[in-house]
Amino acid sequence: MKRGTFFAFSSPSIVIMTLLMLIPLLMAIYLGMTRLNFQNVTSPEFIGLANYVNVLEDEQFWRAFRFTALYIVMVVPMVIIVGFTIAMVLDQVSVVTRGIYLSIFLLPFIIVPIVGSLMFKQLFEASGPLTYLYQEIFDVRYRPTEFSVKAMIIFYGVWYITPFTLVVYFAGLQTLPGDLMEAASIDGASWHEKIRFIIVPHVQSLTIFVLLFCIMDTYRVFDSVFVLSDNLNPIYRANSIMTYTFQQATLVQNLGKANAMAIITVIGILIVLIPNLYMSYKEQIAER
Amino acid sequence: MSKVTNPFGRLLIHLVLIVFAIYSAFPFFWTTLQSFKTFRDANSRTPLFWGFTPTWENYQEVWLRSVPETGGATLAFFLLLIVVLLISALIFAKYIPVPDSIVYAVVGIGFVILLWAIPQLADVSQFYDYFINTLIVTVGTIVVSISIGCLAGYGLARYAGLLGVIILISALAFRALPRLAFILPYFYIGTVTGLNDTYFLVIITLVAVNQPFTIWMLRSFFMEIPKELEESAMVDGASRLEAFVRVIVPIVWPGIISTALFSLLLAYNEFLLVRLLTQSNWTLPVAISRFTGGEDPRHLTLAAASAVSATIPIMLVILFFQKNLVKGLTAGAVKG
Repeated sequence: MKRGTFFAFSSPSIVIMTLLMLIPLLMAIYLGMTRLNFQNVTSPEFIGLANYVNVLEDEQFWRAFRFTALYIVMVVPMVIIVGFTIAMVLDQVSVVTRGIYLSIFLLPFIIVPIVGSLMFKQLFEASGPLTYLYQEIFDVRYRPTEFSVKAMIIFYGVWYITPFTLVVYFAGLQTLPGDLMEAASIDGASWHEKIRFIIVPHVQSLTIFVLLFCIMDTYRVFDSVFVLSDNLNPIYRANSIMTYTFQQATLVQNLGKANAMAIITVIGILIVLIPNLYMSYKEQIAER
Repeated sequence: MSKVTNPFGRLLIHLVLIVFAIYSAFPFFWTTLQSFKTFRDANSRTPLFWGFTPTWENYQEVWLRSVPETGGATLAFFLLLIVVLLISALIFAKYIPVPDSIVYAVVGIGFVILLWAIPQLADVSQFYDYFINTLIVTVGTIVVSISIGCLAGYGLARYAGLLGVIILISALAFRALPRLAFILPYFYIGTVTGLNDTYFLVIITLVAVNQPFTIWMLRSFFMEIPKELEESAMVDGASRLEAFVRVIVPIVWPGIISTALFSLLLAYNEFLLVRLLTQSNWTLPVAISRFTGGEDPRHLTLAAASAVSATIPIMLVILFFQKNLVKGLTAGAVKG
C-alpha cells in the first residue's frame, strides 16, 4: 500500500488520537505546572514544578501508591494461578459442558465494575451472607476496617480479572500439540511433569502477555476502590493512586496538583512499559 | 491434554468447576435475591435465601416516578411481551423467510419505537433517562470507534512503512497509560469550551481512549485476510475503498463484532470519564454509584434493583455474542 493511501485510510483515527490523546497528555504536563482550581479555569497561573514537588512530598500520595503496589502484587499472581488452574480443569470436560461453564465464568467480566463492586458490597452489608458467615465463625460482629476494606478490594480484583486470564489460557491450551503430549505419555511422564515441562513452556508467551495487561489494568484500579471504600470515605484510607488523584481534582479542587499527580503516575508505568514497547517495536519491524 | 478417565477424577473435576461457577455467580445471585425483597427482609439479621415474599416494589421505585393506579401489570406484561418477541425475532432471523438484514433493521426500529413509547405510556423516573443516555453514548461510541478504527486497522495491516510501526507502538503506549492523565485535560477543555455535559464530548473522548485497542485488534483481524482478495477485486476495476467495503469487510465481519463488543463494554462500563465530564446527563454507572454509601436501609434494596437492571441488558447481548467475545479475548493473545 502506498503512503498516500495509508494516510487516506488512517487519518481519521490518527487525527482523533493526536487531538485527544497526545495533545491532552502534553496539556496535562503543562496544567500540572499551574495553580488551577474551579475559580480560575480560564486563567491558570504558572508556578513551575511546585505541584510536582508537592506530590512527591505528599505522605497521602505515597500511602495510595503503596496500596496500589500491594494491590498489583496480590491480584496479578492470584489471577494468573487461578485462571490457569481453572483453564486446565475446564479443558477436561466435553465441548458442550464447557460452553455452559464458560458463560457463567464470564459473568464477573461482563458486569459493570461499579455494579460488580456494589454487588460485592451487598455481601458484606449488615445482613449480607458473608457478614453472617464471619459472625458464625469468629463470633464477633463484622465491622469494616481499613484492613477489611483493602482485603475486599483485592478480593473483588481477583474475582473480576480471573475470567480474562482463564479464557486466554484456555484458548492457549487448545493449541497444545497433541503428539507432544502423547509422546510424553508413552515415555511415562507423570501429570505434573507434563505440566512443568510441556504446558507451562507452551503458554509462556501468553503469561507475558497476561502479566503486562494485568499490571497495566491493576495499576489504574479505580471503580472498585471508589465503591468499596464508601465513596472515598477517608476513614478507611484505602485509596489507590487513581482515587487519590480523583479526590484532589473533585473534593480538594486542586486541578493543578491532580494533573501533576496524573503525570507522575504516567512516568511510573512507563518504567514497566518501555522495555515492553521496545520489544514490540523490534517484533513489528521484523514482521513487516 | 489427555483426559482424566477414572470416575473419581471426573467427579472431582466437575466439583471444582461447580464450586468456581458458584463463586463467579454468587454476588449476582445474592443481589438479585435482595432486589426482590422488602427492605425489612433484606435487612434481616440472618441472610434470607428463601421464605420471604418476593416484591416488585424496588424495581418500581427505581424505574417509575409514580405507579399507575390500574392496568400497570397489564402494561408491563405487554411491554415485556414485545421485548421477548423482538429478541426471538433476532434469534430466529435465519428461519424467517426475508433477508436477515431486513429482520435486523425491523427489530432495531422496533426497539427505538419501544424506547420512545415507554415514557408516553408510563410515568418513568430519571433512571430511565440515564438508561437512554447510556444507550446513546454506547451506540455512538461503537459506531464512530468501529468505523474509523476499521479504516485505520486496514491501513495499518497493509502499509509496511516505518510510520505504521511508530503509530502502532504509540497507540500501545497510550493504551497503557492511566486514563486520568487524559480525562483531567478533557475536563479542563470541556469546562473552558462549555462542552461539559454534552453527548458529543463524552462520545468523542470515549472513542479516543478506545481507539488504540480498537486499531490493534482490528488490524490483527485484517492481517489474516490474504492481500490477493482485494487485489483481484481491484484488477476487476474496483477502487481500493470499494474493494475494502465490498470484499474485505464482509469477511472480517465476525472480527468486527468482537471488537465492537469490547467498545460496548468500555462505553457501558465507563465511570470515571462520564463522572467528570457530565453534571446531569449521567450514564448508568454514575447514576448507580449514588446508591453506594449512605446509611438509609432503603438504599440496600434500591441499589440491588438498579444493579440488576443495569446488568440484564449487557447479559442479554453477551449471551447472544459469547463466541465473539471469547474470540476477541484470545485474538491478540494466542498469536503471541
